[in-house]
Amino acid sequence: MELEKHVQVRQEKFGAVVFETLREKVFVGNETAAEIFRLHQEGKSPQQIVDELVQNYDADPATIKADVDEFMAGLITNGLAKTEDHA
Amino acid sequence: MIENELRPSTETTEIQGSSFSDFEAPLFIAWQLNSACNLDCLHCCEEAGHSMPDELDSAEVMDFCRQIVELKIPYVAISGGEPLLHNDFLKISEFIRSHGISLKVETNGVLIDDEMARRFAELEFRSVQVSIDGATAESFEKLRIRGDWKKSIDACKRLIEAGVNTEIVFVPTKFNIHETADVIDMAHQMGVYGFYTGKIMRIGRAAQNWGILCPSEQEYERFFEVLKQKQDQYDGLMKVYYYPFDVIEELKYRLEHPSASLLVIPNGKAKLIGPLPFICGDLRQHSLAEIWQRYQDAWKQPQVIGFTKKVIEDAELLKEANKWVEL
Repeated sequence: MELEKHVQVRQEKFGAVVFETLREKVFVGNETAAEIFRLHQEGKSPQQIVDELVQNYDADPATIKADVDEFMAGLITNGLAKTEDHA
Repeated sequence: MIENELRPSTETTEIQGSSFSDFEAPLFIAWQLNSACNLDCLHCCEEAGHSMPDELDSAEVMDFCRQIVELKIPYVAISGGEPLLHNDFLKISEFIRSHGISLKVETNGVLIDDEMARRFAELEFRSVQVSIDGATAESFEKLRIRGDWKKSIDACKRLIEAGVNTEIVFVPTKFNIHETADVIDMAHQMGVYGFYTGKIMRIGRAAQNWGILCPSEQEYERFFEVLKQKQDQYDGLMKVYYYPFDVIEELKYRLEHPSASLLVIPNGKAKLIGPLPFICGDLRQHSLAEIWQRYQDAWKQPQVIGFTKKVIEDAELLKEANKWVEL
């Protein structure tokens, strides 16, 4: 997954803000969303992101994976990111 | 113009981010870089023309740029006056873009030649917005004194050819409102990314010339019909965006929901919002972080709330917008 060209992400106290500057739309996410963005920006793969969240939150891996997949799908649906195939 | 559209969240905890005060820094900075302009438009909100005597110098503008980076401001718009007349315009743009910040430039296009268009393309601006207030030279030049319609149109063509994301801004007045559909069609034919418009704002020179500029209710009714029709026609082909509210409606909304943005004028002072006279900070006295806090505090001040309510009752007071009041 790769963020679209004019999408900006900033960490906030509450989580993260995602600004799609081309359409001038603002999206906000909670702390988990912020963590996913942080790990993604570090170059982690989706599976590595899941693994790290599982460790950090001591949660069920299947549930975390489903959440991460849903979150990333939401980014693509909302025009904030694209899959590597379309990069 | 900034709104919370959706919350991509994987948790069920309460999420913040719906109020401007939730953000640690502005999300957007509208920076009027200079007041000098090569035109003398009848509807200029900023009353631009000559430079202010106390505009930020080169060192000060670059210091402001560094603060923009430090605070991780995601999106900056540079306007003027005419920003391309500013000696440091390219240096500022290069600095902002080198840190990955989205940058929009608002210009009359007169100074955009092939070399400038090529440079803009290299810098990958979010967009360059060119003011095209007419489908014909006659209406355009009646409004944009000393303007040259052909030069501005050629600027759009050059930018598009160079691969710059180009947008057109159109301000409706009695002189040009009948050409709205033609300007939109022309924009699409040129390959423009987006067309932006909305009611003329009653501030600056537009307020002084209100009687000869402001379209009638019937003209506005037809204007919005045309916009809706063109929005449908160009759906998926070109963004046709129009802001349906006037400045009074905007103020009513902003009083309850201030935006997470700052407006910085050429002398480094930060205005609360364009249509109000209040100054909530000064880059020569305050850091950008301090100004952000002062901005949030200012919206709660009785003086601001009281005056804004008066303006909402009496639009004539919008004439005071550029007579600054320091808070």
